[in-house]
Amino acid sequence: FTSTCPFLFISNRPLLLSEDEEDTKRVVRSAKDKRFEELTNLIRTIRNAMKIRDVTKCLEEFELLGKAYGKAKSIVDKEGVPRFYIRILADLEDYLNELWEDKEGKKKMNKNNAKALSTLRQKIRKYNRDFESHITNYKQNPEQSADEDAEKNEEDSEGSSDEDEDDDGVTAAAFLKKKSEAPSGDSRKFLKKEDEDEDSEESEDSEAWDTSSTSSDSDSEEEEGKQTVLASRFLKKAPTTEEDKKAAEKKREDKAKKKHDRKSRRPDEEEEDNEGGEWERVRGGVPLVKEKPKMFAKGTEITHAVVIKKLNEILQARGKKGTDRAAQIELLQLLVQIASENNLGEGVIVKIKFNIIASLYDYNPNLATWWVPEMWQKCLDCINELMDILFANPNIFVGENILEESENLHNADQPLRVRGCILTLVERMDEEFTKIMQNTDPHSQEYVEHLKDEAQVCAIIERVQRYLEEKGTTEEVCRIYLRRILHTYYKFDYKAHQRQLTPPEGSSKSEQDQAENEGEDSAVLMERLCKYIYAKDRTDRIRTCAILCHIYHHALHSRWYQARDLMLMSHLQDNIQHADPPVQILYNRTMVQLGICAFRQGLTKDAHNALLDIQSSGRAKELLGQGLLLRSLQERNQEQEKVERRRQVPFHLHINLELLECVYLVSAMLLEIPYMAAHESDARRRMISKQFHHQLRVGERQPLLGPPESMREHVVAASKAMKMGDWKTCHSFIINEKMNGKVWDLFPEADKVRTMLVRKIQEESLRTYLFTYSSVYDSISMETLSDMFELDLPTVHSIISKMIINEELMASLDQPTQTVVMHRTEPTAQQNLALQLAEKLGSLVENNERVFDHKQGTYGGYFRDQKDGYRKNEGYMRRGGYRQQQSQTAY
Amino acid sequence: KHNAHAQGVPLRRKMASRKEGTGSSATSSSSTTGAAGKGKGKGGSGDSAVKQVQIDGLVVLKIIKHYQEEGQGTEVVQGVLLGLVVEDRLEITNCFPFPQHTEDDADFDEVQYQMEMMRSLRHVNIDHLHVGWYQSTYYGSFVTRALLDSQFSYQHAIEESVVLIYDPIKTAQGSLSLKAYRLTPKLMEVCKEKDFSPEALKKGNITFEHMFEEVPIVIKNSHLINVLMWELEKKSAVADKHELLSLASSNHLGKTLQLLMDRVDEMSQDIVKYNTYMRNTSKQQQQKHQYQQRRQQENMQRQSRGEPPLPEEDLSKLFKPHQPPARMDSLLIAGQINTYCQNIKEFTAQNLGKLFMAQALQEYNS
Repeated sequence: FTSTCPFLFISNRPLLLSEDEEDTKRVVRSAKDKRFEELTNLIRTIRNAMKIRDVTKCLEEFELLGKAYGKAKSIVDKEGVPRFYIRILADLEDYLNELWEDKEGKKKMNKNNAKALSTLRQKIRKYNRDFESHITNYKQNPEQSADEDAEKNEEDSEGSSDEDEDDDGVTAAAFLKKKSEAPSGDSRKFLKKEDEDEDSEESEDSEAWDTSSTSSDSDSEEEEGKQTVLASRFLKKAPTTEEDKKAAEKKREDKAKKKHDRKSRRPDEEEEDNEGGEWERVRGGVPLVKEKPKMFAKGTEITHAVVIKKLNEILQARGKKGTDRAAQIELLQLLVQIASENNLGEGVIVKIKFNIIASLYDYNPNLATWWVPEMWQKCLDCINELMDILFANPNIFVGENILEESENLHNADQPLRVRGCILTLVERMDEEFTKIMQNTDPHSQEYVEHLKDEAQVCAIIERVQRYLEEKGTTEEVCRIYLRRILHTYYKFDYKAHQRQLTPPEGSSKSEQDQAENEGEDSAVLMERLCKYIYAKDRTDRIRTCAILCHIYHHALHSRWYQARDLMLMSHLQDNIQHADPPVQILYNRTMVQLGICAFRQGLTKDAHNALLDIQSSGRAKELLGQGLLLRSLQERNQEQEKVERRRQVPFHLHINLELLECVYLVSAMLLEIPYMAAHESDARRRMISKQFHHQLRVGERQPLLGPPESMREHVVAASKAMKMGDWKTCHSFIINEKMNGKVWDLFPEADKVRTMLVRKIQEESLRTYLFTYSSVYDSISMETLSDMFELDLPTVHSIISKMIINEELMASLDQPTQTVVMHRTEPTAQQNLALQLAEKLGSLVENNERVFDHKQGTYGGYFRDQKDGYRKNEGYMRRGGYRQQQSQTAY
Repeated sequence: KHNAHAQGVPLRRKMASRKEGTGSSATSSSSTTGAAGKGKGKGGSGDSAVKQVQIDGLVVLKIIKHYQEEGQGTEVVQGVLLGLVVEDRLEITNCFPFPQHTEDDADFDEVQYQMEMMRSLRHVNIDHLHVGWYQSTYYGSFVTRALLDSQFSYQHAIEESVVLIYDPIKTAQGSLSLKAYRLTPKLMEVCKEKDFSPEALKKGNITFEHMFEEVPIVIKNSHLINVLMWELEKKSAVADKHELLSLASSNHLGKTLQLLMDRVDEMSQDIVKYNTYMRNTSKQQQQKHQYQQRRQQENMQRQSRGEPPLPEEDLSKLFKPHQPPARMDSLLIAGQINTYCQNIKEFTAQNLGKLFMAQALQEYNS
């Protein structure tokens, strides 16, 4: 094994160098060098991987190592198997066996690692068979080889530095060559990562240095101690955290000591370090030049032309691959600074600002990503500044139709003309804002922070609106109005609401209140903006959106009739299916809001009708753009999903789905329960609300009925109570703490809604009661009813009268005694059944006779139709007969 | 209904093995084989093998107990009847229930269970010969395909077997309702052929009235038990509840009407199906006829031209005859409707009687 001793060739070197055939010789030696270096590099990587238990990496590197060894075969044949090679093989095998035994650790390992582990273990077992004798040899006296290896390492670096110093000329070149060659191989990525890896590498080094330093200090005296150190190294494979820490600390100490050692012992080493450091610094510096880019050469006179030229230069890079977009923005900002410093006039600044904003928008390469807050803030500031300039200089004309050529940026005599469209910028800004909101977790503080920016967005839109009202075309005004509307329609105007509640004669209000109430009501504002759009807009889309927002706003503020009339007048219900999805979502939102509004007004039927479409689909969430359904995820591809994601409504615009469902179910209950009671025995009764029936059935299927928990359970329980005419229980199920928290408190006028609801429940319960139990009564006094349902007499009277008029209740009112006298004309359950049976039998007979007809051969043609008609008549008569018979026999 | 069907399938399977059972039992008791042989002789003459069913009180009580413990709502309980045939009288002396099997123990072997049961009963010297089966019913709805199939396989294997139908609801109202049914020999023949086409049924001259025959039932107790009953009647502290006289009838009537209506609906559908079939066949007939005529004309023309006539083609291949709908189901439905109607008739007649009685009483009192 002496052949691997580094002394040999290093000491040989100067001798060989001096020889004539140095070139060829050196080639041979450098080949060996190269091979071995390759091997050691690989081994180092493996050791690193071992340390972080990255078995996959180990496997990779081991395979490379095997290959490299194969390449080095010729040298190995000559020189014998290198010690360090045997060492890594033995170590790796031990390491793997240890890992293999460690069941716990194996379980924790990820799949790839576990797989790699078993593969590697098998491979190394097979591989090591060839080196069996070497390995046993090594295992018998590991310290020696480790020693040697370390020594070799040490000597290697020493040698190379020595080399550097000793023979400057040829060897230096050779060294450099080698250096530049080495990274080109496998270790290139290793070198690249040097910055981060340095630490680990060094610690790895320290291991080597550690042993080496002791060994060099006291050659073979402390064999025992070294062995323990070595043992601890091996044992450290699965350390507990504490041990780990200690070890790390020790290592650090070692490192420090080592450094110290190194410095004190070999001053030349430092030099090499320095050299290396310098070299590294240069490498790091190349990609990012942190210096401020120089715009103009010093001393250049800054004129319009120069600035514009520079601007164009910068803009040329825009959109090209490899352009650093952040740097571009910075450049532009610098340019603005320069321009303003040199008083180049507002025109240029406006022009550059436009471009800054445009490049800000460009910053994100695709539509799906959104801005980081800093970018957003920058954009807002920029737009604000731009607006400041535009307001301050009314002589600047801005427009997208102004051609580049006809721009006038500096001629102060004429009005300044700048190409660019402030409206587009603002619209884009608004979209970006929506995007930010869509992509922020709605339950985080971050969302609130973002939401605070909404005021800024609104302010900007307002400014632009004012600006455009002066200068823009009607079309532009319409567009900016729509933006304004979109930021207004969903907000409940508490101030106006307050003002409504407190009548205007209360002039004793404080000044502050007055100030607070400044500004027009959002209702007035909406009215004004929408009317303008209705009158002036020529694109259908803006008008549709405006109408929908207007309706939504009306509905939100409980102006039901205005909202309804607007909806009916617009005929949107007929052609909304041709609109694009975002408008459809807006339409759905509007319909839902309309339904909720109707409910607040106590118009259950209207509420039910408005909500029916949305609720019956079971996809309310999707239809309102408030989330994607998981179930249809597999049905759409990535692209569609992205598009749908972009359509989502930001969280602060959401309509509470539970509230929506509750409103729907409660109105369905108020409609359906009396209806069910009235048509108990009707075979052909239809369902008013499938959804509601579904919920009822779900409730019935429950094997054990506990107290209601969810909103749905509450409604189902209430429905059951209502079926019995028990309005008090019904009331307590619908209005209680839980439901208040979940639903009712969400309304602006919660108490009003609750009172309305109680009254509705009382009325409908009364109706249900009368339907269900009228057959039990001969007569019932209205006073009793009014007591039972806590309704006043006139109400009871009117409800009963209505029922009698509608022929729902067969009864008459006895005025003097205030009683309802039942007529008992409706058939009993049996009679009803008998009637149904008779009907069925009729059809059966008809069918049967058709078969008979067929046999008779009178098939088809005019004659049969006539006969059919006749038979129908007869059937009817017969049925009548049955009815009489039945009612006689039942008693 | 579904449940009954599920029970019916294993029954058939069981009956296949039942034959071996009779074989083995025949060697053990010669008297029963003699009786069976006699029954067979009678059956051969076209008459029914059994003229009367005599049931032990024990059996009745066991059936009632079985339903009360396991049956509920529309669920149906079933069991095996044991006994022997004496002349033209079938004596049912014991029974045991089929265990209620659930889906999760699918490997439960019913045949094994029954054989085991019968063997055990023989060990304690109880009649162990299979003479039929019993089933509970829900408002008299028992005329089903499952019952037909089961009873057919029973009667096929053991001539004299009967099915006892127990109506728990009527029983609860105060009148024990237990009926023994057998398939008529005509129906047996049709079932053997397994041909339920309209023609076959027509040929067999089977109508819904002639599907099942009811066998009169006698409930018999041993003298010892009779004595005990007398003894108990005196001591019994339970007040006589005359549920028989209850005037409330609407519920029962309503339920029956509902069921009747469902069957009528089914019947209606069946008729529509049949109608469609008729129409289709006649349409096809017409097409066939037209085709034949065209062929004939063409042949005539060819003949006049001196050409050879076209080869005859298989018409049945060209016009595949439509599959006629099986009539058995409609027959069964009709049978069921008939049962319902009789139930209702009986029920209303009784009720009318009760009402008149109540009226008379009231008049008398006032």
